[in-house]
Amino acid sequence: MLLIRANLRATVLLMLMAIPAIAHTGDLSGGLLGGFAHPLFGPDHVVAMVAVGLWGAFLGPPAMFVLPVVFPLVMAVGGALGILGVPLPAAELAIAASAVVLGFMVASAARPPLWIAATIVAAFAIFHGYAHGAELPAGTDAAAYSIGFVTATGLLHLAGIALGLTVRWPAGRMGVRGTGAVIACAGLLFLWRLA
Amino acid sequence: MRRLAGLAVALPVLLPIEEACAHPAFAGATGFYGGLLHPLFVPTHAIAVLSLGLLIGPQMPHGRWPVALAYAAGLGIGFAAMILAFAPRFSAEALLAITAIVGALVALARVLPWPVACVLALAVGIALALDSSPGGISVREANVIIVGTFCGAVILLWVILVVVASFRREWQKLGMRILGSWIAASAVLALVWQLAR
Repeated sequence: MLLIRANLRATVLLMLMAIPAIAHTGDLSGGLLGGFAHPLFGPDHVVAMVAVGLWGAFLGPPAMFVLPVVFPLVMAVGGALGILGVPLPAAELAIAASAVVLGFMVASAARPPLWIAATIVAAFAIFHGYAHGAELPAGTDAAAYSIGFVTATGLLHLAGIALGLTVRWPAGRMGVRGTGAVIACAGLLFLWRLA
Repeated sequence: MRRLAGLAVALPVLLPIEEACAHPAFAGATGFYGGLLHPLFVPTHAIAVLSLGLLIGPQMPHGRWPVALAYAAGLGIGFAAMILAFAPRFSAEALLAITAIVGALVALARVLPWPVACVLALAVGIALALDSSPGGISVREANVIIVGTFCGAVILLWVILVVVASFRREWQKLGMRILGSWIAASAVLALVWQLAR
């Protein structure tokens, strides 16, 4: 075990000492950071992602990890539709509605069966992915951008889960449900702006 | 599942061939160390190796070394093919497609029979090697970079396996599944984007 640890440390040090081989389409930082920043600058996306995590934590296992697994997988399908330019009507309305519905689910402490919760989340993931896919900037490193973008989305889910884990305490439960209500109200505001 | 794995390994080999040096010259790739870091700093390569490590690390505690050896053999086959001037045009896309499959398997927590896992690992190794062409430089320097890339790709998987094998807690296993879904989603998005260009 000591030998393995020593080898591991030596390997990491060796890798850090070497000069980076910035390869392929280049612009690793721009693509990765650009993709990472993309979901964070859309408040409608941010609140909906946090709501997914909150609801998952509220429902407890296995929903707590099923929802954050389902969302990115289905979102990628939506993203592909957006990249390919397949028309999907009322995507922005659906994204705003996702904040309303998911926020309401958290605020009302709704506990539907797992498959219903997963279907609701997956349906909205299509629209979120579509919007991101349609807005992908040309000329950046596709892989780095996608990794950054998916990672930021996943971290927003994890932030929601972390906040949602406080439901084990009465005050935390009230706080989580209150956050759900705020998210639903924010969704209504987004809908009102779109109307 | 066996057919899927067979398709995965055939994908990088059956793709249209074009002349060698298909890869753009990459700035900063200097010699052995440049090759060593190549799998770590190329996002598609890093997530491909990460997904493979996440797949074989926890699921096959007794059978992971044959799978790791299949991966190393795949790298060797890919680099040998590259030295023989075999350069598929869509090697990057093939790697992303295989990564998406492996990432989805991690997300679904599918336990694979070890021969199927070996075939997938072989496919990852071949596709990763064929996508690591150090074009536009001297043969001697290219060979040094290839040796470095082989070592870097093997070490990276080894490090991931060591880390993943230490995961015992439930939240760590769940975290791996979530990471697998991220990898699959990233690979699908990048694949579609590259094909749509």
